[in-house]
Amino acid sequence: MNATFAIAGATFGEAVRKRILMVILLVALLIILISPAFEPFAAGRGARTLIISFGFGVIQLAGTFIAIIMCTSMIPTEIERRTIYTILSKPVQRYQFVLGKFFGAVGTLGFMYLMMGIVFLIASRMALGGFDPQILRGLLMFFFQSSLLAAVVLFFSTFVSPLVNYFLSGGVFLMGNLLSSFLETIQRNPEVTPITRIPVQLLTVILPNFANFNVQNPIINPEQMLTDETAYLVQTIGYAIVYIALLLVASMLIFNQREM
Amino acid sequence: MSEIAIKTVNLTKRYSGLWSKQPVDAVKNLNLEVHRGEIFGFLGPNGAGKTTTIKVLLGIIYPTEGEAYVLGQPAGDPKNHYKISYLPENPYFYDYMTGREILTFYAKLFGIAEPERSKRVNELLDRVGLSRAADQPLRTYSKGMQQRIGLAQCLINDPQLLILDEPTAGLDPIAHIDIRDMILDLRNQGKTLFISSHQLSDVERVCDRVAILNRGVMVQLGRIEELLAGGHVEVIADKVPDNAVEPIRQLGGKVSLHDGRLIVEQPDNGTVDRVIDIVRAAGGHIISVKPYRRTLEDLFVETIQGGKNA
Repeated sequence: MNATFAIAGATFGEAVRKRILMVILLVALLIILISPAFEPFAAGRGARTLIISFGFGVIQLAGTFIAIIMCTSMIPTEIERRTIYTILSKPVQRYQFVLGKFFGAVGTLGFMYLMMGIVFLIASRMALGGFDPQILRGLLMFFFQSSLLAAVVLFFSTFVSPLVNYFLSGGVFLMGNLLSSFLETIQRNPEVTPITRIPVQLLTVILPNFANFNVQNPIINPEQMLTDETAYLVQTIGYAIVYIALLLVASMLIFNQREM
Repeated sequence: MSEIAIKTVNLTKRYSGLWSKQPVDAVKNLNLEVHRGEIFGFLGPNGAGKTTTIKVLLGIIYPTEGEAYVLGQPAGDPKNHYKISYLPENPYFYDYMTGREILTFYAKLFGIAEPERSKRVNELLDRVGLSRAADQPLRTYSKGMQQRIGLAQCLINDPQLLILDEPTAGLDPIAHIDIRDMILDLRNQGKTLFISSHQLSDVERVCDRVAILNRGVMVQLGRIEELLAGGHVEVIADKVPDNAVEPIRQLGGKVSLHDGRLIVEQPDNGTVDRVIDIVRAAGGHIISVKPYRRTLEDLFVETIQGGKNA
């Protein structure tokens, strides 16, 4: 595991020095910090709902961009710059390299979420005058959503070019956010034929369900209550971990056969 | 312990793209043996298959046909990687790290624990002359310093075999000499070095044996002195009468005479004294006697151009 953690550490060190990622983080921090200023626009929905949903929206968007931008070029850049040759010519197995890259990416996401979370908590406390535990739960869910997205991007990066990966990962993220509600809609509609419904059902099962992590809805719409919030949290995080593990195994198998 | 450090048996690496009609053999039926303790030069023009062969030896790519062994084990066996090291051409190291940090990183890949890790890192920094720059980020390093740190990362595991791809490319003369001396020093310590390079004068100076690859096929293999045998001595003389030419020509050299000025390219086989005697006996004056040694560059150009014309 020494090698895996060494690679993870190097990946983290490099990622947190990437200007583009830092710019995204700084912009997100700035927007979160000034979010209380939007309170007058809350109209009838309440300041709490506005500030929290706005903050979560910014955090989710930043997390998504960071995960995609960071992981798309992670392996291709190492090959292009030949750094990977100095690593794989050491007693490092290819699976250790993939795991190291992923753990480094997750570490970076953790750092970014920590920064955004701290600022979000400060901003919300300033605006709302109290600490809302929903924020921590939300941050945890979005962190796992971004980690799952990072695993998707890393998986694609083992066999497609960065440009194709942007579109593929972006597409999977979009579909993973929309498919479950789309499936619900067409299941309620008796006019939809099985020819339309079955492919959607199949895709909903195969593609990662990113919508489960979107916790804004219960916060924005407090009338939609979860019966057991902890169970939902555990179940969703468990789903993310299992899906990430499957993606990593697939990535390792593909990368093991890859010629560089 | 096997006396062979690297062995390839009918090694072939074929690339066939998804859309390309004709598969391309980057390396074709390569049979090679590199002995332990020697410096082996692996030469060839761009695209000859040198880097492909190295990648196969490191297990970064897989052979299409044939076999490759490194230190007696199948190529690419990660356990074997404890005993080998590789310096790629123009490598990039994480440039936010300092010299000390990058060596620590590579030491961790070998599982070298503290305090041994710090001890080895400090020793290597000293050995490659980077102790004073040890805590500077790599992005501030010159090309020569980058190459030294590259060589240092190669030595972190005290390897038996070093595979170096263009170790002196792009270096200034001083850095060039430093790296060359380090290579010779490593040989003196009993290491095996497998060097791919276009710097033919370096290869000629440091290597024991060389192989030349062209279009994936090995076209020359042998000891440097054997491959470069066959130089000549050029004798220039003045006021040489016409009747002296024929006896000189009979000695087997290439002779030309213009207005009494004689130029003889005599094979370096001990007949030069006879040429000089004949010139003097005929009343001529020797102007110069200059030995011409065949260089690796001559051999390389002859081999590659011969291959093109074939």
